[in-house]
Amino acid sequence: MEIALSKNGKRTLRGFFALVIVFLYAPIAILIVFSFNNSDLPTFPLSGFTLRWYRDFLSNADLAAALETSAIVAVLSSLGAVLLGTLASLALARRRFRGKAAISALLLSPLVIPYVVFGISLLLFFHAAGIPLSILTIVVGHMVISLPYTILVLLPRLEQIDGSLEEAARDLGAGRLRTFRSIVLPLILPAVVSAFLIALTASFDEYAVASFVVGTRTTFPIYLYGALRFPSRLPEVIAVAVIVMTASLLVCIGAELGRRAAERRLGGLESPAPS
Amino acid sequence: MSSNPSPAPPAARRRRRLDPTTPGLLSLPLAWLALFFLVPIGFVGAYSIDALSLYPGAHALTLAGWHDLVHGSVYLRLFWKSVEMSLIVSGVVVLCAYPLAYYLALSGTKRKYVLLLILIAPFLTSYLLRVLAWKVILGDHGVINSFLAWTGIRDPDHPLSQLLYSRFAVMLVLAYVWLPFVALPIFVSLDTLDRRLLEAASDLGASRLQAFRKITLPLSLPGVVAAFLFVFIPTVGEFVTPSLVGGTGGFMYGNEIVDLFGNALDWRTGSVLSLFLLGVVAALTLIFSRFLQVQRVTAS
Repeated sequence: MEIALSKNGKRTLRGFFALVIVFLYAPIAILIVFSFNNSDLPTFPLSGFTLRWYRDFLSNADLAAALETSAIVAVLSSLGAVLLGTLASLALARRRFRGKAAISALLLSPLVIPYVVFGISLLLFFHAAGIPLSILTIVVGHMVISLPYTILVLLPRLEQIDGSLEEAARDLGAGRLRTFRSIVLPLILPAVVSAFLIALTASFDEYAVASFVVGTRTTFPIYLYGALRFPSRLPEVIAVAVIVMTASLLVCIGAELGRRAAERRLGGLESPAPS
Repeated sequence: MSSNPSPAPPAARRRRRLDPTTPGLLSLPLAWLALFFLVPIGFVGAYSIDALSLYPGAHALTLAGWHDLVHGSVYLRLFWKSVEMSLIVSGVVVLCAYPLAYYLALSGTKRKYVLLLILIAPFLTSYLLRVLAWKVILGDHGVINSFLAWTGIRDPDHPLSQLLYSRFAVMLVLAYVWLPFVALPIFVSLDTLDRRLLEAASDLGASRLQAFRKITLPLSLPGVVAAFLFVFIPTVGEFVTPSLVGGTGGFMYGNEIVDLFGNALDWRTGSVLSLFLLGVVAALTLIFSRFLQVQRVTAS
């Protein structure tokens, strides 16, 4: 007898699973359908196929500028977050020091802060310090938000790698930097890339914190939010939505598959699993 | 190294003292967080007691903002409304996610990781765009209403107007947004469950329901608690979704904070409300993290 599930139970759960998948994907499918619909309003009945909205969006200068700003913010903040995250993960994985639990809790704490509170904190801080709001103030905020995510990706990977490889390199006379460059970095590179891509998509999608510290150049989510509140060019926004959704999905899934493939290739160098 | 007679392995000896490069590794991330995370929160604290103020001139320190929060009923009532909405959303989402995770982890399906990826994939797409989808669906001239009018089920002049801009819309969208993610911690706790316990229960004559109640459910409870908090913590301070689909009925505590800093220019009250929210979330996290660590210890 299968103790976890009866035959009927299994059938019921499979049906429920299918229902939920429909619930999750139907809204996305509806967006896709209406992005090709030849009408100014997303309403039934459908009124013919068009690529107009995709063409219009290509010639929308505001939208293009917002996408460009978001790309710059995302790349800068992800590079910064990965750098900080790598340093912190190396210390947490390889070093022993007092207050480790407290420090690791602090490093991960941006995960749980309500974004409205963090956005306002940054705003008050920049205001008091006389720092004008700009692209860089968003980068600063996004680096804080992304840092824990990069640590959560990098730390488990570092803990998997056999520490004796580094000791061997040190014993053979390699300096710390050389050991890192020749041994550690190649082994954690898939995780570094994966952390970078996660930070990239998180930043590209981040509205709440950015909305408080945005300067004159708006990011894509802020543009999108404005377009959602006053929907005059809704189908055009829907068309962009479809493109961005597809792209971010491909990046995330690609990152995950790539990381798994690379780690499988490097699998032989891992420390044996604890029994 | 094999000729070394010392019982302590060299690695352990090397790690005993503080490595001089450890501060070098930690200083940059910690300095960044101190400057752009902790200090800014300190500024919120300063504004909450008028140590700093938006208005020029000398100020006496005051706890009036905190007094207003505790003794005035407006903000606290709004806070409880947000807590209630958030609790309902978290509860519904966890109840829906549990059978999904159970199916993936315990039904013996071969493609469980593929199915899990399909379930989680919507979470990886843009948050605002998923909210947009519901705005398009629920609006007065949206997909549902235009469909009802088109098929003649409902008069086009009397759309179902309570669909959008309501408490219901906020909770529906929040549940939609968080459902894919929440299945993950529950799945992990069910997938790592020792199947032999279930077999033993079965051999000893337990029914499926008994085995579920006495073994599966208690052992998956840490995942359920984690899942619940993963939804509750971000949704209780939510302001983006309510401002897009909430109208006045779906107005939440987070929206009040934004309003106080934006339109109302009352930074003191806004700071008090922010710190109160932060305190609640921090307290939950502390209780929760202890809970998690205990579980990790018992698991290993």
